[in-house]
Amino acid sequence: MEHWPVGMAILTILLFIGVPISFALAGVGLVGVVSIIGWAPSLALLGSVFFDNGRDYTLSVLPLFLMMGNFVVQSGIAEELYQSAYAWLRHRKGGLATATVVACGAFSSVCGSSLATAATMTKIALPSMRRYGYPDQISTASIAAGGTLGILIPPSVILVFYGILTQQDIGRLFLAGLIPGLIGIVGYAIAVRISLKLQGIDLPTEPKLPLLDRIRALKGTAGALALFTFVMGGIYLGVFTPTESAGMGAGGAFLLMILKRRFSAQRTLMVLFDTMKTTAMMFFILFGALTFTNYVNMSGMTGDIQSLITSLTSSPLGFIVIVLCIYLLLGCVLESLSMIMLTVPVFYPIAASLGIDLIWFGIFVVMVTEISLITPPVGMNAFVLRSVVPDVRLGTIFRGLVPFIAMDVVRVGLLTAAPILVLLLT
Amino acid sequence: ETKLTVANWLPPSHPLVSEVIVPMTEQIAEATSGEVTATVLPAPLGPPPAHFDFAVNGVADITFGVQGYNAGRFKTTNIAEIPFLGDSAEAISVAYWRTFDAMLKDAGEYDDVKVLAVFTHGPGEIFLKDGDPSDVDLLKGTKLRVGGGIVHEVASTLGAVPVEGPSSKAYELLSQGVADGILFPYESVSFFKLIPELEVGVSVPGGLYNTSFYIVMNKAKWESLTPDQQEAIDGVTGEALARMAGQMWDRADAAGRDAMDGATVITPATEAQITAWSAALKPVVDAKLAEVSETGIDGAAALSMLKAEIAAQQ
Amino acid sequence: MSDAIKSVELEGQTSASPPARLSVTGCVLGCLGGVLLIAMMALTVCDVIGRYLFNSPIKGASELTEILLCAVIFLGLCAVSLAEDHVVVDLLTDKMPASIHPAREALTGVLSGLILMVIAWRIWVYAAQIAGYNGATTNLSIPIAPLGYFCAICAFAGGLITAFLPLKRAFLHAKH
Ligand code: NA
Ligand code: NA
Repeated sequence: MEHWPVGMAILTILLFIGVPISFALAGVGLVGVVSIIGWAPSLALLGSVFFDNGRDYTLSVLPLFLMMGNFVVQSGIAEELYQSAYAWLRHRKGGLATATVVACGAFSSVCGSSLATAATMTKIALPSMRRYGYPDQISTASIAAGGTLGILIPPSVILVFYGILTQQDIGRLFLAGLIPGLIGIVGYAIAVRISLKLQGIDLPTEPKLPLLDRIRALKGTAGALALFTFVMGGIYLGVFTPTESAGMGAGGAFLLMILKRRFSAQRTLMVLFDTMKTTAMMFFILFGALTFTNYVNMSGMTGDIQSLITSLTSSPLGFIVIVLCIYLLLGCVLESLSMIMLTVPVFYPIAASLGIDLIWFGIFVVMVTEISLITPPVGMNAFVLRSVVPDVRLGTIFRGLVPFIAMDVVRVGLLTAAPILVLLLT
Repeated sequence: ETKLTVANWLPPSHPLVSEVIVPMTEQIAEATSGEVTATVLPAPLGPPPAHFDFAVNGVADITFGVQGYNAGRFKTTNIAEIPFLGDSAEAISVAYWRTFDAMLKDAGEYDDVKVLAVFTHGPGEIFLKDGDPSDVDLLKGTKLRVGGGIVHEVASTLGAVPVEGPSSKAYELLSQGVADGILFPYESVSFFKLIPELEVGVSVPGGLYNTSFYIVMNKAKWESLTPDQQEAIDGVTGEALARMAGQMWDRADAAGRDAMDGATVITPATEAQITAWSAALKPVVDAKLAEVSETGIDGAAALSMLKAEIAAQQ
Repeated sequence: MSDAIKSVELEGQTSASPPARLSVTGCVLGCLGGVLLIAMMALTVCDVIGRYLFNSPIKGASELTEILLCAVIFLGLCAVSLAEDHVVVDLLTDKMPASIHPAREALTGVLSGLILMVIAWRIWVYAAQIAGYNGATTNLSIPIAPLGYFCAICAFAGGLITAFLPLKRAFLHAKH
């Protein structure tokens, strides 16, 4: 049963010769499972993975948040938003990319999924950054990285899963994600500056606008702010749940498009066609990843890892360093939800036995999962960007992400050294 | 030596796993002198509703789950899920197994698998954010988070506004204020961290509903075992396994109830409430028994046997 | 402001769906998927409004959402396959000589198509199994099997398209 490294190798080859990610994962996963439990059960499992997981109520937020983002773009308020942002940040180096990161953080506070955050922000931010002359390498990386905040800043789908798996209070987990999320925004803003410096890019900065003009420019945020307040207010007043907020947000964005006199049947059809396509791409990657996860699950990989760790170290810090390395490696090839479902059951009993606070550990796990979303070859956020904007090469996105990943590792180090930053609000 | 895989969709720390499934694997190994061992897979193979078919198709050798997740598939479970059956999960579970073994299995719903146990969790009670616990119309217009099946009908029959959503979303629904309350056993209120959200609890004698569970094994795998091994496994599963599961739910309910001390005030339902609710729910129960009879089993007779077996254990 | 619209529509163009008008197939897929997506959105909105204002939520809203979600995913697969927009890792393929791309794409296309057809077959079998025990949704008792057949047909069509388009290109390329 020790053939999982072979499976990993075949997967890598298939991905590199250009087999679509979804089918490479599904194919290798299927053959791997066949080698363990035989043809008939494996094929039955395949049918279940592709049919049962497509009927998951919680995952309905994905197409609905995508649709909301698409309607927001069509209503034109994205452009206004970026003009306001540019008015405030145009005299700064990389101001618009910084604004993108901040906007990603803000959007994360209404969206529990990193993929949906990245997809939505791509629609809003990328056209503007392109027009202002930002190289794709920096603009896509700032969105892909900023989008990872979706699962750290509450609400968060991943934190809910962690809370259920480890029986930790989900409310406390949400509070614990706030400060690390804010640190993340600052870190990514620094990464934008580093990227510009490394690439020797000198984006033209414009003279600072007078304060009155800048305040006038804020008018452009009214539409976005209204929608944001509607969604946030709805959640916090208990009118609807974060899951339902996706549908309400899409409805609100649709209404906004009509109010802005931008409704046309043609435009609506394009939005819906686009939403459907992106939804299908994402879900098929998810199904492929889940098929592959079943193989990993049955192959005995988890047990191998558990015995290895306990033989290596008995100190909490040593354990955290090892787990960090494992997550960085696993995160290269696994989809985030699969990774959480596979590893948390293995790691959290060890963490608890070493006296590590499980709330802190949850935030740690989410932060390393964030990294996994932007590391090649399987970096879901990069894929999302690629599926929304097919003319950008994945290589470009991943190269641009290097400084952001570096900042992520720094952030993990900081929060390991000062756990109080995580636990302060809980 | 035969190795069995056990599929699990719950956290390993959940008592159904740590206090039922894992001990069951240990007892199987012990009873067969190590000839048959069972290991729990580290991660779920798929969503909970897929688990019965996992056993049918041999994706895993042993699976467990809730029959109600496959709506339309199991009608005989109605017998064990109707209101006012009893306060002890152990008594209901053992009685349920005996009734299943004597009558319900003839409906053929489990013919594709080897059944290791059927059992129920403890009584489902009423929990609300606020309200007067003695009010007969306590649930009228109240937004209640419910699962599917019988509990949905119980809630709407008693005038509640059912708010749907998976149990993992219960915290979200309550803390956001989307739902005003929930129908749950004590254990689940505690497990899903809902105690701080719920100030009022009403304990209904016999419970307002139950949930039926199964533990089943792939049929081909079962038939590949020797008669001696089968007999050894039968000795530690069936009624013994149903009892162990029922005892676990009773312990978990007691712990859940203890955890409510000082946070959720639990009041027993009043005579007036019980009379009114029993009358209101009578048509629901009758409809459920009629569904059981559709399978060719005498629903009323099965219910009589179940009630007699429950009474016999008090 | 019209610039913003243009740039978005340009994105649509690069994803092989012309902005001004979709192909006839695209239009049909877009309309069908659009109806499903709008229904999903309307369902949530009406459920929330009904629950909050009139104390009467829509029974079975979440299971209707699940059905719509599943249908959108598999209908969308056809659209993705037609546009050949499956997400690939292009780190290495970009560096390969242009002359091998028709053959490489034919190979990966056929492989992907086959995998999709296996998936289609298994969803069909699974749906038949569900039909065997009259599997239905919890609250509205909507039969699940027809949805499975629909998904299987979509996946099969997607597989055919995914294999056929690059094969056709490879043949045309070999002829020249
Ligand atoms: Na979030
Ligand atoms: Na990765």
